Amino acid sequence: MNTRSLPRATWRLLCSLKLAIVLASAATLLTMGGSLVMHYNPDVFGDMDTMVLGEWLDTRGTLTPGLTWWLNGAGTFIVLLGINTLCCFIDWARNFRARWRKSGEYLIHLGFVLVLVAYIWGSLGGFRSTDNRLLVGEEMAIDEMPGFSLRLEAFEPVFNDSGRPMDMRSTIALLKEGETVARQVVKTNSPLTYKGLIVVPGSFGRVAEGFNFFLSGRGRIALTPGTTVPLDDGGRLRVVRFLPDAVRRSDDQPVPASRRLGNPAIELEVVRPDIAPWRGWYVLREGLPFPLIAAGVRLWPTDPVYRSYSVLTINRDPGAPLALVGSLAMLAGVLFAMGSFYYKRARGDRPDIT
Amino acid sequence: MLTYQIPLLFAAFGLYLAAVVLYMAHLKARRPLLWKAGFTLVLSGFALQSAVLVLRWLAAGYLPVTNLFSTQFFFSWALAATYIYFELRYRIHASGLFVIFLNLLLLGSVLPRDPAIPPLIPTLDTPLFTLHIIFSFTGYAFFAMAFSLGVLYLTQSRLRHPLLPDLALLRKVNEEAIFLGFCLFTLCMIWGSIWAWIAWGYYFSWNIKGVWSFLVWLFYAGMCHAKFIRRWQGKGYAILSIVGFGVVLFTYLGIGLLLESNHPLG
Repeated sequence: MNTRSLPRATWRLLCSLKLAIVLASAATLLTMGGSLVMHYNPDVFGDMDTMVLGEWLDTRGTLTPGLTWWLNGAGTFIVLLGINTLCCFIDWARNFRARWRKSGEYLIHLGFVLVLVAYIWGSLGGFRSTDNRLLVGEEMAIDEMPGFSLRLEAFEPVFNDSGRPMDMRSTIALLKEGETVARQVVKTNSPLTYKGLIVVPGSFGRVAEGFNFFLSGRGRIALTPGTTVPLDDGGRLRVVRFLPDAVRRSDDQPVPASRRLGNPAIELEVVRPDIAPWRGWYVLREGLPFPLIAAGVRLWPTDPVYRSYSVLTINRDPGAPLALVGSLAMLAGVLFAMGSFYYKRARGDRPDIT
Repeated sequence: MLTYQIPLLFAAFGLYLAAVVLYMAHLKARRPLLWKAGFTLVLSGFALQSAVLVLRWLAAGYLPVTNLFSTQFFFSWALAATYIYFELRYRIHASGLFVIFLNLLLLGSVLPRDPAIPPLIPTLDTPLFTLHIIFSFTGYAFFAMAFSLGVLYLTQSRLRHPLLPDLALLRKVNEEAIFLGFCLFTLCMIWGSIWAWIAWGYYFSWNIKGVWSFLVWLFYAGMCHAKFIRRWQGKGYAILSIVGFGVVLFTYLGIGLLLESNHPLG
């Protein structure tokens, strides 16, 4: 082979139909076997959807190379197939006037290439973050996107007639440097999207953030951190902290044991005229501390004060808009190819034989 | 309204069974009246199945394809529709025996199952899901048709039976089934990916069903190219059609029944 025909031969190879079949077959066979390895090793592959592929390959993928090598192999074949498909598309585009009737088929080729590029782009430049708990009114910075944060403005769980949770409606604001750039009631199949960022609902729950009490002479009051209650003698009672589940340390100080409601404790401060202020813990199961009784504070705990939180999945895929363009190209390609197929069949055309 | 569905389904099953008997009788006696009567029964069975589908759709308020009963029933309906399309277009006559027998197996496995329509979970309550399912099972139906035609091609290449369509027609119809199946399955993948993006925040999931669905697409994309290579035409293509349907069956039933998947439909 002389040097002048080498580029032409290389181009013919890159556009080769047989090469496409070989690459597609190799990727298919390797992935078939690999998918079974994946299925029988959930400890290795179980969390693949919780991070982008690039991050997964860099972290989990490198820990067990004996089980994950096929992903690199199949990925290589798919990328080579993508290059082959792109070359076929370019070759077709160069001869468009003679081959325009194949536009549908080649739009599918283009769509495949675009979706593949988009997936690689998203796998390398995107991120996925699950289990983001956000209380109503709370704002959370998106670490992977400096300057951006999410605020949960409202939350409403949706239950069916039998009380089973069906959906959740989280009113989410996306802020950039403190300015709202997007707002959406996020619910199932209705995410917040912004330039490749997508926020979808995961689950929801509630945390005890205080307790309701019956206070003699005042009736029912809710004590949550920051609440101040004026006392009859001109003093005041202030709630400093609330622990839904507390355990006493060796020095007798209550410390958090868990986030669930178990052994609630509330740190209070009593300030009275002419008397030194008192600050201490009221562990509800242990009864009122003496300084509160001495101050004439009579509290009877009734029930917890709950605050809802939404658990959100926050993903960013910079390739997603390109993937959408690719899928639209495929959609148009399929419609055109079907139309063209029936047209050709009506004319009695047969496929080319090579 | 749904009280009629079981008698109608049994009636459809009976009509398809009678059609199979008539097609077999036609193979033996070679009377055109027999296949005409058989095809009429297939049309009647399809009409009953369509009525059941409409009744269930009206009762549920959405296309009920959320459990094994519903998907197998819809698959069976799509397969009958696909066969009718090819019969009306190409007059493939006795080839119907293979397809309708396949449909009979599918519908027969539906009958003992619970026909109750489960409540729709919010994730599935979107037109994207409906489009995903419709194109998925119509695509599968064309792949099943291609499987039947592949079996028929291999049979005919050995028997050269005068009542079976000639090899050229079988090859042409098989290629059409693969091409249309691939187009419809591509649409299934597009709608499914868009739905996954808005529901879960990613458009490709590494669950085993997602991976195998991509493999089905890749396999039939390869087949759409293989028809241009001389060595793969004819027998090779027929064998690929049979193997391809094996991949489809594993993706649709094998994964759900033998393995576990976190895909919304198992």
